[in-house]
Amino acid sequence: MRCRILPLFATSALLLQAAESHISFNRDIRPIMADTCFRCHGPDKSSRMANLRLDLRDEALKPTRRGDIPIVPGDPDKSLIIQRIFSDNSARLMPPANAHKTLTSEQKQKVRQWVQEGAIYEGHWAYQPVRRPDPPTAAGHPIDAFVRAHLATNGFAPSPQADRNTLLRRVHLDLTGLPPSPAELYDYLKDTSPDAYERAVDKLIASDRYAERQAMHWLDAVRYADTCGFHGDNPFPAWPYRDYVLQSIRDNKPFDQFTREQLAGDLLPDATTETRVASAFNRMARTSSEGGLQPTEYLAKYGADRVRTVSGMWMGSTLGCAECHDHKFDPFTARDFYSMKAFFADVKETGLVPDQGPLAWGEQLALPSEQQKSQWDSLERKIAAAKAELRAKSIDLQAWGKTFQQAAREWTVQIPVAAKAKNGTLLKIYGSEPVLSIYETGGSVVSDTKPGNGLVVASGPNPDNETFTLTLVPGLGKWHSIGLEVSSDDRLPGARLARGSDRLVVTEVEVAAKGSRVKPVSARSNVAFWDAGLTPWNVIDGKPDTGWGVATYRSQRTNFLVVDFAVPVETKPGETVTVTIRHDSPIRRAVTGRFRLFLASTPHPQPAMDRSRDLAIPALSADLLQAIAAETPSNAQKEALQTLAETSHPDLEPLWRKLSQMESDFANLRAEIPHVVTTVAAETPTETRILGRGNFMDESGDIVQPAVPAFLGRIALAEGRTRATRLDLANWLVSRENPLTARVYVNRTWRRLFGNGLSKVLEDLGSQGEWPVQQDLLDWLAADFMSDWDMKRLMRTIVLSETYKQSSVATPEMLEKDPENRLLARQSRFRVDAEIIRDVALSVSGLLAVDKFGGPSVRPYQPEGYLAALNFPRRDYSESHGADLYRRGIYSFWQRTFLHPSMAAFDGPSREECTLNRSGSNTPIQSLVLLNDPTYVEAARVFAQSLIAGVGASIERRIELAFRRAANREPSTGEKAILVELYTKELARFRRSPADAKALANVGEAPRIAGNDADLAATVSVTRAILNLHEVITRN
Amino acid sequence: MKQIARRTFLSRGAAAGLGFTALQSLLGGAPLGSRGILNPLHHAPKAKRVIFLYQAGGPSHLEIFDPKPKLAEMHGKPMPDSFTKGQQIAQLQGKPLICFGPQFKFQRFGSSGLELSELFPHIGSIADKVTVVRSMWTEQINHDPAHAIMNAGNIVSGRPSMGSWVVYGLGAESANLPGFVVLMSSGAGGQMQPIAARQWSSGFLPGRHQGVKLNSNGDPVLYIRNPKGVSSEAQKNTIGAVNALNRLQYDQLRDPEIQTRIAQYELAFEMQTSVPELVDVSKEPQSVLDAYGAKPGDGSFASNCLLARKLAESGVRFIQLYHRDWDHHAGIPQNMPLKAQEVDRPTAALIRDLEQRGMLDETLVVWGGEFGRTPMSQGGNGRDHHIKGFSFMLAGGGVKRGLVYGATDDLGYAAVENPVSVHDFHATMLHLLGIDHLRFTQKFQGLDARLTNVSGEVVKEILA
Repeated sequence: MRCRILPLFATSALLLQAAESHISFNRDIRPIMADTCFRCHGPDKSSRMANLRLDLRDEALKPTRRGDIPIVPGDPDKSLIIQRIFSDNSARLMPPANAHKTLTSEQKQKVRQWVQEGAIYEGHWAYQPVRRPDPPTAAGHPIDAFVRAHLATNGFAPSPQADRNTLLRRVHLDLTGLPPSPAELYDYLKDTSPDAYERAVDKLIASDRYAERQAMHWLDAVRYADTCGFHGDNPFPAWPYRDYVLQSIRDNKPFDQFTREQLAGDLLPDATTETRVASAFNRMARTSSEGGLQPTEYLAKYGADRVRTVSGMWMGSTLGCAECHDHKFDPFTARDFYSMKAFFADVKETGLVPDQGPLAWGEQLALPSEQQKSQWDSLERKIAAAKAELRAKSIDLQAWGKTFQQAAREWTVQIPVAAKAKNGTLLKIYGSEPVLSIYETGGSVVSDTKPGNGLVVASGPNPDNETFTLTLVPGLGKWHSIGLEVSSDDRLPGARLARGSDRLVVTEVEVAAKGSRVKPVSARSNVAFWDAGLTPWNVIDGKPDTGWGVATYRSQRTNFLVVDFAVPVETKPGETVTVTIRHDSPIRRAVTGRFRLFLASTPHPQPAMDRSRDLAIPALSADLLQAIAAETPSNAQKEALQTLAETSHPDLEPLWRKLSQMESDFANLRAEIPHVVTTVAAETPTETRILGRGNFMDESGDIVQPAVPAFLGRIALAEGRTRATRLDLANWLVSRENPLTARVYVNRTWRRLFGNGLSKVLEDLGSQGEWPVQQDLLDWLAADFMSDWDMKRLMRTIVLSETYKQSSVATPEMLEKDPENRLLARQSRFRVDAEIIRDVALSVSGLLAVDKFGGPSVRPYQPEGYLAALNFPRRDYSESHGADLYRRGIYSFWQRTFLHPSMAAFDGPSREECTLNRSGSNTPIQSLVLLNDPTYVEAARVFAQSLIAGVGASIERRIELAFRRAANREPSTGEKAILVELYTKELARFRRSPADAKALANVGEAPRIAGNDADLAATVSVTRAILNLHEVITRN
Repeated sequence: MKQIARRTFLSRGAAAGLGFTALQSLLGGAPLGSRGILNPLHHAPKAKRVIFLYQAGGPSHLEIFDPKPKLAEMHGKPMPDSFTKGQQIAQLQGKPLICFGPQFKFQRFGSSGLELSELFPHIGSIADKVTVVRSMWTEQINHDPAHAIMNAGNIVSGRPSMGSWVVYGLGAESANLPGFVVLMSSGAGGQMQPIAARQWSSGFLPGRHQGVKLNSNGDPVLYIRNPKGVSSEAQKNTIGAVNALNRLQYDQLRDPEIQTRIAQYELAFEMQTSVPELVDVSKEPQSVLDAYGAKPGDGSFASNCLLARKLAESGVRFIQLYHRDWDHHAGIPQNMPLKAQEVDRPTAALIRDLEQRGMLDETLVVWGGEFGRTPMSQGGNGRDHHIKGFSFMLAGGGVKRGLVYGATDDLGYAAVENPVSVHDFHATMLHLLGIDHLRFTQKFQGLDARLTNVSGEVVKEILA
């Protein structure tokens, strides 16, 4: 809770004290008019009253129909607007009562004075070209020169420099998001050379950690997330784009190039894989795969989202307001909105963006490593060769087809005599007893109760991994294959096949008879979509981390796996066959919920069952049957038969088994290769119309071509070109004539380093935004930034200023007169951002894993059931393990509709929409997170362990080290006393409650070091307290 | 600010740690709460709080509130083109549009003679206490954006939900409970559409106005339980140390944020005790449990209705109960009775219970979903999403009793008499709470943003 609600004018009043006596339209009048007049007398003609317009001087000086003149320059008494705003007659008073706006007498006087002084209009400041103002003094840092001159006119002096501990901590947190280690702090304090700070800054800016810190805000703006954001909110391939942003910031890519690559990386003449990854920017909009959506409606939504994002990020403009009508305050028209949207009309996309199946997420880019690329090529070659070899075999297809058609392919259902689970799952075998099943068919949910007929149902304890062992007594027979039929049930999550995870993964199937293992020779299944790498061969590869299964929800009710035996198994009556089904996947709880087992008495049975007759379904379509029966088969029929033979003919068996294995490997490889959504330009862009009131069904509006907002200029096309592109848009955004881009970017950068932008409303530099407190400084920074678009240099310039280095301790006078620190007579104190809160805790505890830069998103601990309101599929959550459990917050899986609750508690944005500023709330839920989220409890535990390991038995020494690590300073005697008392009290209590001590001393997955539980637990109480301190989550 | 300062002072006055006793006695006295931004309100309020029984998925008005004999006559015949031409359609895009008659009989209830489906006799038994609006309409035909409109009046993400607006405006009545609470239950039919957390987001309003989701299973509020091995006493000791250290900092720096942080830790500790107690309905008399049809811990809509009454008594301002499973694209005949069984009795019990406790007059109860369902059949026995006409039921809090307001056409397709938009509904709800929706604004991206966006009129005819 930044809890003071200040009267809006507190700050500007303060600034006015020092203002020169004459009135500036932009500074003084425009904000008043924008708030109170322009709604009815501004740019939007649809809501204009009395045909009167006050935002343009020419219009405001014209007589009205009744002959009154709204503004007579130099003569307030003759000016209609002055008469009306000062009117005593409530019927004549402006603004009218129904506007619910009143002018203060100070505001009225200002308007009067402005008219008196000649009613000089100025173009809105942010739309004027950026010129580079000279700093008020030539000496010293330009930023300081501007700020100090401004301070002097306001009667303030700058604060002294912060002490060196604070300064180093501040600049570490600002640049890298991590506090300095005690060693870094020690070295810095020891280094008294004049450039010690500068060198520290350079080291920080050069580090990977810098990119991880700075990318966060860019990702907020582009609304990067790991899920699609609408309806089922399923994961989509986005993280390589996040890595592009990270790498670009680390490598200090010039901002103009950074802009071009993201908006138009696919259109660049020298487009590379990297720039195509960058173009995923255009694909970050939320997308929906909700059944029954109207594609045109959603295409309109996606387009509007892009306009809001681009105009907010680069232009600091609320152009989104012009979707339904001309902008009410700024000179943007609805035509401008749709003309901007037209730039993106070439992005190849569909209104319904599938979230599953081979067409999922539309255009994608594969990003294989060198090694994967060569594996890919080699497999592709081998598969082609194997196919050619198969094709070369000569077979009497029709004759074989007839035999194939007639061969009995019998499956015999097995009712196990025993079923055991290694990790505690209860397995119930249903023979003739009835069992309830609930499943989806044709889009609706139905249920039936039928005899189980061998169904095995798992219930009870739900371990992460599990192994089932079934004992079968097949009777007399010769068995060629075993079949595992996994049935879906609507009460199961995800693919509705497994007990907890969103997917089913069977990692191994092993069969034993007569005391020895039956050698498998191939594995097949009726699950055709192997995109997640869950191919059947994985169950006989002996590897515990690969498996067969299903990763997306589908309406297929039964999923069938066949494992063929190298040599048939013969059983006599009473002899047993043991089947072991392993679920050892790193994905937890991907364990089968309901299944049946079958044995096949004929070779090569199909992986699907006709359960009414216990027969394999031979998969012969009517077309194939016709082909077999045809007297002279057509070429197409021959081809169909050939294909059948190439997957089923017994003579070709060794060949097609080999091919099938290679195809399985190929699918596994494909699943391992990272993919990212990308922008592909359609040859013919879709038509863009102005939609009246934003209504997508209205097809009466004008067709528009891509164009930038008219009042900001136009894109000149070279001879022969008829249509401006996204690349033209990008070039226009980063042209040196563009008044907005640089101002917007430096303003956002300033916000991160001082708590507020120089203009406070980061997303709106328009007339409803804030007149910058120091426009000369903002313009100087913008001009400087534009000179080379060097993002790191901008950052470095600011943090090297004395203004940045000031102490953040406020005097009572500052707190009273400038509570929000807009004058910069000090530095600001503010809470660090959501990701950084966790990064700090992990870092000081020593848990933070920073060996890796980039990579797939990871999952921190998250409460059970947090995602229960999601569906299609229902899902559970598995936290990552090992180092992935302790990576920085920027790598955390970003579920848009249910952002990780700790992140959300600390104002992490959902990234459903472009977000340019985060708020810094202060709530009791945050206290609960820091106190009770296992992430922080574990961090406290490991922190305590490392203190004990570091300094031994003395609690005072432990507290000192803890303070050095978490707060980068020595604790005071008073502080130490509080924590020693806590330790003592807790030690006694934990000695009395050893079970509590043990539980706390072992919380989390990180290794425990040997030691006394009570001592460790009591020290954890101390470290928990420290990690909860306001100071530790504050940058000051 | 003042309250926080007072509480901090009291805490500091206590010799050791937090001064819980002092704090508790203070809380046990007059309810503190936090004041809203609207001080005073725009006009005298009729309702102090809202309980929104949100039937997520889109319940069929044609099998609950809106009798359509003409549609029954037309059953199986093509839907006249005059109704559907040029209108939005969801899953029925490109399919033949066939009339699907109401699947259940309607009967008259109460002295007002309210016509309701036979499936809802309990709601029928309180017919004289409610207003049924038969002329609702909305603009979004898919669940996700329709939820956005119904909750935030806008489909662009980042706008505050109605509960957040209300708490922002009116403040919280309770000092140790969130002002805006969300409960959720699932139906047995399995037709459950997803729900997004943005539906109770505070958007651009301060984060503390966010809806807090209470869970009936597991931790009632996320992170409300102490870590394993940390007893209540240990937690208290740790928080005591945290705040003692924060106070030392405050004494040095006078940063008001530190003061707020101290208060939040005190409040968090309070919540750790108060919330689990509050959520536990097992101590309610059996007769009350039976009236609702609630079994403690079952997470049902019935239990949530009972919990909603407890939350209302404890001063929670906005209570939203989602009941999912109304998305009846198929199986209207089988699924409607299931839903009726889940919601009919508890809805009536809640309204009656509030009345018996003298709270109905100050509590606005709302019953409805994000849209209705088509008069046309989908797949022979289901209904598709429908936005042109559907029904809401309102009770208490300054709303007329025994009134039917507005009407759809003969086939239940479009609201033709006194249509009520979602923004009209929001305007009316705010009006009952003492708020003029036009004046209740917050600057956002240069606009005076409001819950009702750019439209909305108070439906005066339903005000008592």
